[in-house]
Parts: sequence; structure tokens; C-alpha cells
Amino acid sequence: MIPLELYILLASIMFTIGLYGLVTQKNGVKLMMCIELLLNSANINLVAFSAYQPNVNGQVFALFSIALAAAEAGVGFAIMIALYRLYGTIDLDTIKAMRW
Amino acid sequence: MISNAISLMIAIPLLGAAVSFFAGSKAKFVALIASLIPLALSLQMYMEFDKTSKMMQFVESYNWVPSIGVKYTVGVDGIGFPLVLLSTIVSILVIIYSWGETKKPNQYFALLLLNEVGVLGVFTSLDFFLFYIYWEIVLIPMFFLIGSWGGPRRDYAAIKFFIYTHVASLVMLLAIFALYFTYQMPDGSRTFDMLTLLKATADKNIFPTSLLNIIFAGLLLGFLVKMPAFPFHTWLPDAHVEAPTAGSVVLAALLLKMGGYGLFRIILPILPHVDKAFVTIIAIIAVLSIIYGAFLALAQKDIKKLVAYSSVSHMGFVTLGAVAFTTMSIQGAMFQQFSHGIITCVLFMSAGTIQHVVGTRVIADLGGLADRMPKFAVIMMAGFMASLGLPGMSGFVAEFMVLTGSFATLPTYTMIVVFLSIVTTAAYHLWAMQKAMFGPILKKYMNVHDPHAYELFSMSMIIVLTLIFGLQPGLITGMMGTAATQVMQPVMTLSQMGVI
Amino acid sequence: MYADYAYLIVGLPVLAFLLCLFVGSRLPRGGGFLTVLATFAGLVLSLGIFSEMYPDKIIHQSMPWFANFNVGILIDPLALVMLLMVTFVVTLIHTYANGYMNGDPGSSRYFAEAALFTAAMLGLIYADNLLQLFIFWELVGLCSYLLIGFWYRKPSAAAAAKKAFLTTRVGDVLFMAGIILLYNNLASLNIALKPGEYLLQFPVIYAHLTQIPPAQLTLIALGLLGGAVGKSGQFPLHVWLPDAMEGPTTVSAMIHAATMVTAGVYLVARMFPLFYAAPYGLTAVAAVGAFTALFAATMGLTAFDIKRVLAFSTVSQLGFMMAGLGTGAAVGTMAVGVAMFHLIGHSFFKALLFLCSGSVIHAVNTNDMREMGGVGKYMKWTMYTMLIGSLSLAGFPLFTGFFSKDEIIVIAYEYGVAINFLPYIFLVLAAVLTAIYTFRMWFTVFTGKERSDYAKHESPSIMIIPLVILAIFAFGFGIAAQGGFYSYLDSNFGHYDVNFNELAVIGGHAAEETKLAGEPAAEPLASEAGEGAKAESKAEPAEPWYIQILPIIVALGGILTASLFYWDKVKKFDPSLVTGDKDPLRKLLLKGYYQHEIMTAWFAETIVYGSALICNVIDIKLVDGWLNWLSALVMGFAQHVRKVQSGVVQNYITALVLGVVVLVVVITMAKEVGLI
Repeated sequence: MIPLELYILLASIMFTIGLYGLVTQKNGVKLMMCIELLLNSANINLVAFSAYQPNVNGQVFALFSIALAAAEAGVGFAIMIALYRLYGTIDLDTIKAMRW
Repeated sequence: MISNAISLMIAIPLLGAAVSFFAGSKAKFVALIASLIPLALSLQMYMEFDKTSKMMQFVESYNWVPSIGVKYTVGVDGIGFPLVLLSTIVSILVIIYSWGETKKPNQYFALLLLNEVGVLGVFTSLDFFLFYIYWEIVLIPMFFLIGSWGGPRRDYAAIKFFIYTHVASLVMLLAIFALYFTYQMPDGSRTFDMLTLLKATADKNIFPTSLLNIIFAGLLLGFLVKMPAFPFHTWLPDAHVEAPTAGSVVLAALLLKMGGYGLFRIILPILPHVDKAFVTIIAIIAVLSIIYGAFLALAQKDIKKLVAYSSVSHMGFVTLGAVAFTTMSIQGAMFQQFSHGIITCVLFMSAGTIQHVVGTRVIADLGGLADRMPKFAVIMMAGFMASLGLPGMSGFVAEFMVLTGSFATLPTYTMIVVFLSIVTTAAYHLWAMQKAMFGPILKKYMNVHDPHAYELFSMSMIIVLTLIFGLQPGLITGMMGTAATQVMQPVMTLSQMGVI
Repeated sequence: MYADYAYLIVGLPVLAFLLCLFVGSRLPRGGGFLTVLATFAGLVLSLGIFSEMYPDKIIHQSMPWFANFNVGILIDPLALVMLLMVTFVVTLIHTYANGYMNGDPGSSRYFAEAALFTAAMLGLIYADNLLQLFIFWELVGLCSYLLIGFWYRKPSAAAAAKKAFLTTRVGDVLFMAGIILLYNNLASLNIALKPGEYLLQFPVIYAHLTQIPPAQLTLIALGLLGGAVGKSGQFPLHVWLPDAMEGPTTVSAMIHAATMVTAGVYLVARMFPLFYAAPYGLTAVAAVGAFTALFAATMGLTAFDIKRVLAFSTVSQLGFMMAGLGTGAAVGTMAVGVAMFHLIGHSFFKALLFLCSGSVIHAVNTNDMREMGGVGKYMKWTMYTMLIGSLSLAGFPLFTGFFSKDEIIVIAYEYGVAINFLPYIFLVLAAVLTAIYTFRMWFTVFTGKERSDYAKHESPSIMIIPLVILAIFAFGFGIAAQGGFYSYLDSNFGHYDVNFNELAVIGGHAAEETKLAGEPAAEPLASEAGEGAKAESKAEPAEPWYIQILPIIVALGGILTASLFYWDKVKKFDPSLVTGDKDPLRKLLLKGYYQHEIMTAWFAETIVYGSALICNVIDIKLVDGWLNWLSALVMGFAQHVRKVQSGVVQNYITALVLGVVVLVVVITMAKEVGLI
């Protein structure tokens, strides 16, 4: 059996990549993808802990989380499309009607 | 005798405010009725009022938040009742004057009624907690009146008004908390009861002079800003200039009186127990307000600003009379509160009428209006004469009593300054009258005419009142005299009155 | 029985005021007849009261008002003669006004204001306390303001009204200060007042004068004198009176000649015991009066506006009355009688002169004497009645002015013997000038060639009849009333608990009083002392014969001089010999001593208004400035700090991550060191 540490390491790497992208990227779609990475790194942890501890609660939570991520992606991409129609770009640095 | 007269008097305009908010264009009728009932109640109370009693009258007291010693306690005596009467009279006249308001009338009249609720609450509360709530309630309708119906710089004026007076109120709140946390009832509990706390300030063991000085200064600042006294007066002209006419009237006639009321109700009972330097400081502030306000009024180009500064000057007499601390001067200062309350109405209404009939308030642009507005000219003249202290009208009685009473205790040079200001006061009033109303009628004003009947009605009612109280000041000086004697003695408590 | 209705003397004019104000415009002639009737009823009542009171009663009614004050009616000889004079003269002037104001669109307003004035003036006269007197005093001032500005469309009228109110206001403030000082002094005495007695009532004041410190008395007297100076147009507050001629001529006659301006003199007479007791009180009165008398007379010489000549003359004559009262320092209460006699006589002939000038103005339609001339040919009645008035004013023998004014000059001589001759010299010079300017006016208007085109007709009879009645009084009052008047007024202060001998000691003129009383100062009652003084001066005139006849020479000389300058039949000299704009000195006279430049342009408009503007700048820059500075500071700080809230979520995330890292590092290190 693959040791738990490797799962956690994988999740950490995914999380770090997602966080890095979230902080540095300007493209809205890339940001969405980074958020997905963050969520999924959490899911991996949930499932892994669940598997090592005979308890399905973690997997149930992971399913919830996936469903939530799907809904979030739907709303998020809808917003991105709307922004694209309005501004012709989804570069978040140029969209600043509500800030300076 | 109507039980719960005071609560009723406050509840009805509150209800009226809610109803008129949803009444659309019918709001003015709701407002009229909702302000007529308090007027009737206050007149009924006047009939029943015992002018020689030193007790609080029409007292109601209920537990509200017993765990922190908050009670709902209201009652009036010779300090509060004339102002209650003033509030109900001014409120209804203002509503009649604004009969033609077309911009969001439902909100407008609701705010005017809410204002009445606030000031009536301030003048009747005998619990610091309740007092402070009403004190702050008053800010809200006035803020919106200035902010929504005001002139071109209304945002600046509304925010300045709100923040300036609010900061002062917060300082006052701190002082109230200091009173609250310092004094413990015999059974160990704490109380917000105004009279109990004020009476306790006499006890040097509970309130050492050093502590009481700080508390006193905090309270004083709250009231002086509200009055307003030099050098805290600068919010007033801005607020007045931008406020709609009704807002100005209520502001000058009622809101400023809250400061004066605070002086009599709260400051004077503490005054004997604090550092004597305070007397000098307050007297200097009063005298400076009087003369400085008069000189500033003389320099103004806008007639409404002129009237606003005249308020500063006239309210200085209230401070002066209060701090002089003789029965006559305190009585006169109380009367000045009442008298300025009615007289200033007609001044601001005049300025407002000129604004909406002629289209400008700049004195230099006016001229010869008496020719086209004869009835208005007579009323405005009467109002200005009342304001400059013409005998036979209420302003003179007040000024005379304040000066006569103050002469004994205050140094002569302060009196000389005040006498100088009387001439200056006459000067700016007459100058404004001459420039605006007399001389040949300007061509561009050939088409102006007397204002609406409802405006003339409310203004002439006020003139009648100034005459009544000028010729028969005894109508209210009696109860003021009783209150003035009372102020100079230790404060009564509710328990002594057998209420609790 | 009449005394029970004394309140109606004020009440009826008030009623007339209200009627004229509200329904006057619908009544014929603006309701002027109401005003006449109300005043006439006052005259009848006053006569009735006179018949009840004469010779030795007074009427005193009082009721409480508010606080420590009352309202009341006090009619003593002093008040009564004033009541009679005012109701009489004012009735005639109102009658005349019915003709004069006929056709003016504002006539109902005129009659309303005139009725209010009448009420206020009468109320002032019979007030029983100083506060009430002050209230009516101010009301009188208000009416004066309203009536001067009656033709408010004229900018000069509006300005003159304002000037009048403000100038008298200066005096009124001093008056009020005097009252307040007096009240506080009386209050500190802790007098046990009987029921119905109040501190500011005249009898109470009179009775307690001796207990007030003399220095305070002087201050009070100066305050009251300030009020009198303002109202009666004495130097330096006289500047409003000539300008006040902007009002209708009837107003000038009624208010600014016959009645209101005498209120100041009346006040000093009313408070005579106080002035007498106050060290230097009467000296100040005499100085002010004598100086004004001469000063105003010189200005009367150069004015071209006929009404301004009369106005300066009024100021000058009021100065005579003041000086007359001031001489009381030497002659005691007798001075009151003498001054009041001149006051009453003056009101007759000055009202007559004004109404005559009104009649002329009505025809010629200008006030400028340079455009008149030869008017006498067309207006015989006006000319001869005005001649009577002028002779009386000039002090021609047997006319009223001869008896009244010359008596003042004579007692001024006594004052000179006892104290100082300056007032006497001033008054004699003023008397010469009076005769000159009066006849300068009369000759310029009625004789010579017509200098402009004007309506050549006599005024209507409703205007002529009052002239004739006044002319009769202007001539005959002096001869008829002289003796009885003095003794009646001398009895005035005998009705009160006031001891002039004690007051004289306080006031520092004990020696004179004793000398004049002719016996040691031991008499219990002041009236006896006063009568004693009078008897003495009647029994053996203290003055040499040349002093007695000097006034006659002065009057005749003045008239002669005037005719040499201004009567075309005997003209010898040109007026430009004395006045003109050639050299500074003569220009000074022509310009009226540059008073307008000094008082209005320099003092009021530069100093007072300028300091107001400075205050305004201070208020905006400093008092409001620090507030705006504070808010600008807070706002500026916030402008910088709010950049932190960039709105870029990525920045927040970065901050969050960094924060977590820092926390982790700190906690780890803390554990390493063993803090946790």
C-alpha cells in the first residue's frame, strides 16, 4: 500500500501549484483552474485519510466538494463569459470598474 | 387629567411618522393631525401644570432594562415644559408652512414628525439612557432633511452637522458613563436616573472635584456645541444655509434649545460643585458668542446666514443668563430659549420665502420687495423687530431679564460688551431690512407677489405669539421662576417625589 | 371719575391703530378720522383728569406684570401737562394730516402708524415705572422709524429711517444700562416693599435715592442722560434728526418737533431728583444742552432744505431745554418748571412752523428754499401764521418763546453766578443765531422774487384751521400760562417722599440750595424747599437789569441781522460773506462739520462694518479653518491608507499566505525558545 505521506505530499504539491497560480495569474480562466486545483488537493487528502481510517465520512465530503466545485465552476465560467462579452477580455487587471 | 400625557405626546408623532411615510401625497394631512394632537395635549398640560410646584410633574416611570439600571422615566418641570410647549407649537407651524412641499412629501413630513419625537423626548426624559437615545434620534431626521432637500452644498453641510454634533455627543456620552460607573445606589446597583446622579454630584466623597471637573467639561462640550457657542458654532451657518426652510426652522427653533436645556437641567446643578474657573470660562464663551455672532451677522451677504449668526448671538444670552446664576438671570435665559425659539421661526421662514419667491437670498441682489409683497413685508418687519429686542415683543423681556440678572454677578466689562452687541444687532437687522425690502423695486422683481396664505398664516401666528409673550411674559415666567429657584437648590430625586 | 378711564388715553389710539391697520384701506381717507377721534378723546379725558386733579392731587394706578415688575399709570402735574400738550398738538396735526396725506396710496398705513405713535407717546408720559417708560420709549422709536421711512421706495428715506433707529438705539442701550444699574442698586438695598410697590416705580425710586452710593447715582444718571441725548437729538447723537425730515411733514411736525423728541427732556425732568442727587449729573445735562443749543444753531444758518432748518432749530431748542434742566444744580426744582414751560411752548410754535412749511411744500412741491421765494403773495394765511411762529421761536417780546426761552437764559445766568458762566454764554449766542436763522428762512420763503414755477394757491382749509389754532397758542400761551404753570409744576415732586435738601448734600450742591431757599436746610418736605426757592427768586430778582433785557436785545438784533442779509427790501450784505465753499472754515459750516463723513462714512461704514468683515475672515479661516484642516488631515491620511484595500483579490491572497507563513514561523520560533 502506498504510504499516506505520499498522498499528502501530492496534495501539498497540488495545493502549492494552485496557490502559486492564484497569486500570479491574471487570466480569469486560469484562476478558475487554480481554484479547482486547490479544491482537489483537499479532496485527495479527504479520500486518503478516509481510506486509511475505515470511515467513509471523508469520501462523502469529497463527493460534496466535487459537486460544489462543479456548481462553482458553472457560475464562475458564466461570469467569465459575461465579462468577456462586456470587456472583450478576461484579463482581471483591466477589469476594474469597482476598484482603482 | 390625561394619564401618560407625555408618552402619548411622543408616541403620536412617531406613529404619524410611520403612517405618513406610506401615505404618499396625503402625508401632509397625516402630519397635521399627528402634530395637532401633541399641541392639544401640551395645552391641556399647561392648564393642569402647577406653576408653583418644585416637583417634577406628569411623571411616568417604568423599568426598562433593570439589569443595568435603565428606566423609562419622563416628566416635566418649569425647565422642560416651556420647551415642550415650544416644540409642539413650532412643529405644527412648520408643517403648515411646508404645506406646498412637492418633493417626496411623504418622507419630508415623516422626518419632520420624527424630529418632533426626538426633541419632545429630550425635553421630557429623566433617565440619562433615554435622554441620550432621544438626543441622537434628533440627528437622523435633520441629517436627511439637509441631505435630501438641501441646497447645492448639502452633502458637505449634512456631514459636517452630523459629525460635529455627534462627536460632541459622544464626549457627553463618556461623561454620562463616568457618572454612571462612579455612583452606586445604596443597595449596590447602578442607575441612569438623571436626578439621582445629579444630586450625587454634590457629594465630594463620591465625586472628587478633579473627577467631576472632567465629567463636567465633557457634558459642557456636548451642550455648547449644540447651542452652539463660540468657537463651536461653525457647523450652524453651513447647516442653515443648505437646509430646506423647514429644516432651518426646526434646527434653530428646537435643536439649538436642546443645548440650552442641557445647561439648565444638567450643567447648572453640577456647576456649584466644580472648579470656579468654569464660571469664568463659560461667561467668556457666552459674551464672545453674543458679540462675535452679532458682528459676523453684520458681515454676511446671504440673508439666511445672517439669521443663522444671529442665532449664535441670541443663544449667547442663554449661556450668559445661565452662568450668571441668579434667579432673575436664569429665568431670563429660560425665557430667551422660548422666545428665540418662536422668533427665529419667522426669521428663517422669511428667508425661505424670499428664496422661493424671488429666487435668491443674497441681500445685495434684493431691493424694494415691500412694494410687491406688502403683507410679507409687515410680517418680516415685525419678526426682525422682535429679534432685535423691541419692547412689547418677547425678545426684549428675555434680554432685559438676562441683563438685569447678570449685572449683579458678572463683571461690568462683560456687560459693556453685551450692550455694544445690542446696537450691532439692531444694525444688521435694519440693514438687511433696508436693502431687501425698501428702496425702489428692481425691474426683475416686478412680477413677484405675496407668498401663499399658509406661509403667511404660520408666520403671522408666530408674530402673534411673540406679542402675547412679550406683553404677558407671566404666562410662562412663573414656572420658570420656580424652576430657577429650584435649580439653585439641590436637585430633587424621584424617591423624594414618591414616584418610586 | 375720569381717572378710572385713564387707560383709555392709550387704549383708544391702540384701537385706532388696529382698525387702520386691518380695515383702514377700506375706509375714507385711510381711516384718518379714527386717529383724530382717538386722540381727541384722549384730550377730553386729559382735560377731565386735569379738572379732577387740579391743584393738588395725583393719580396712581398699578397692577403686577411679570417677575418683579408692574404696569401702572402715574399722572402727576409733570405728566399731566405733557398729556395735555401731546393730545392737543397731535389732534391738530392728525387733523391737518387728513388734508395733507389725502390721496397718498399709503394713507391707511400712515394713520395706523401715527395712531400707534400717539399711543406709545402717551404711554411713555404716564408710565408709573422706568421699565414701562422704556418700553413705550422704544415703541415711540419704532414708530419714528416707520414714519421716517414712510416713503420707503425712496432710498434716502429708508436710509434715514435706519440711521434714526440706530442712533437712538445707542442712546437707548445706555438708558437700559442705567435702568439695570438702578434696579440692581435698589435690589441690593433689600427694601421692604409694601403691596403694590415695585422697585422701578418712580415713587419708590425717589424715596430711596439717598441710600444709593453717589458714584452709582452718577453712573445711572449718565446712562439715563445717554437715552435722553439719543431721543432728544443732543450732541453727539443728534445726527439722525435732520435726516429724519425724509418723512412726511406731518411726521416731522408731530414726532420730530413737538412730541417725541421732547421725551428725552421729559425723562430728565421725570428723574430730576436722581439727576439732582447724582454728583455732576445736572452739570453734564447743562453742558450737553448748552453746547447742542449753539452747535445746532450754527448749522441751521446754512441749511437750504426748509425742513432741515427747522430740524436744526429743534435740536437747538431741545438743547435749551436740557440746559434749563441742568441749571437745576443752581436753582433746584424750579428748573423743571422752566424747562417744561419751554418744552410746551416750543411744541406749539414748532408744530406750527412745521405745518406751515408743510403747507408751503404742499404748494411748491420742493423742500429747497432756493426754489421758493415770494410765496407770501399767494399764501397769506400760511405766511402770517408762520410769522407768528417765527417771532415766537426768535423770542420776540410777548410771544410764547420770549417767556419760555428767556426764562431759561435768565436761570442760566443764576447758574453762571453759582457755578459756571459757559452755559449762559453759549445760550445767549444760540439765541442770537436762532433769531437769525428763523428769519433767514422766513424772508427767503415768503419775500422776494419767485425763483421757480409752482402752484400758486393756498392750502385747503382742513390744513389752515390747525395752523390758526396753533398760531393762537404760539402767541398767547406764554402770557396766559406763565405764572400758574411754574407753581403747578413746582408742586410736582412735593407729592413724593423725596427730600431735596438731603439730595443736595449727596449731589454736592448743598450751598446753592441753602442760599436759594433763603433759610437753613431744615425743611422736612422738598416741595416746601422748592417753593421756598421759587418764592425767593420771585421776591427779589437776583439778576441785574441788563441781564433781564438782554434776551430782548438779542432777539431784535437777530431779526435785524437776518433782514439785512435776506430781506430784499433792506438787503445790505450777501450771505456768502459768512458761508460758502471758498475757504475751509466757511466750508466746514456748509458741510455741517463733516458729520456725515465722520459718523456714517468713517465710523459706521469703515470701522464697524470693516471689523465685521475682519471677524468674518477670522471665522472662515481660523474658527472654521482648523476644523476643515483637521478633516482634511484625516481625509488625506485615509487617502493613503485606503490603497491597502486595492480590490485585487490576488493581493489579499498573497497577504493571507504571507500572514500564515509569518504566524507559523513566529509560533515555531516561540516554541523553540520555550515561550509557549
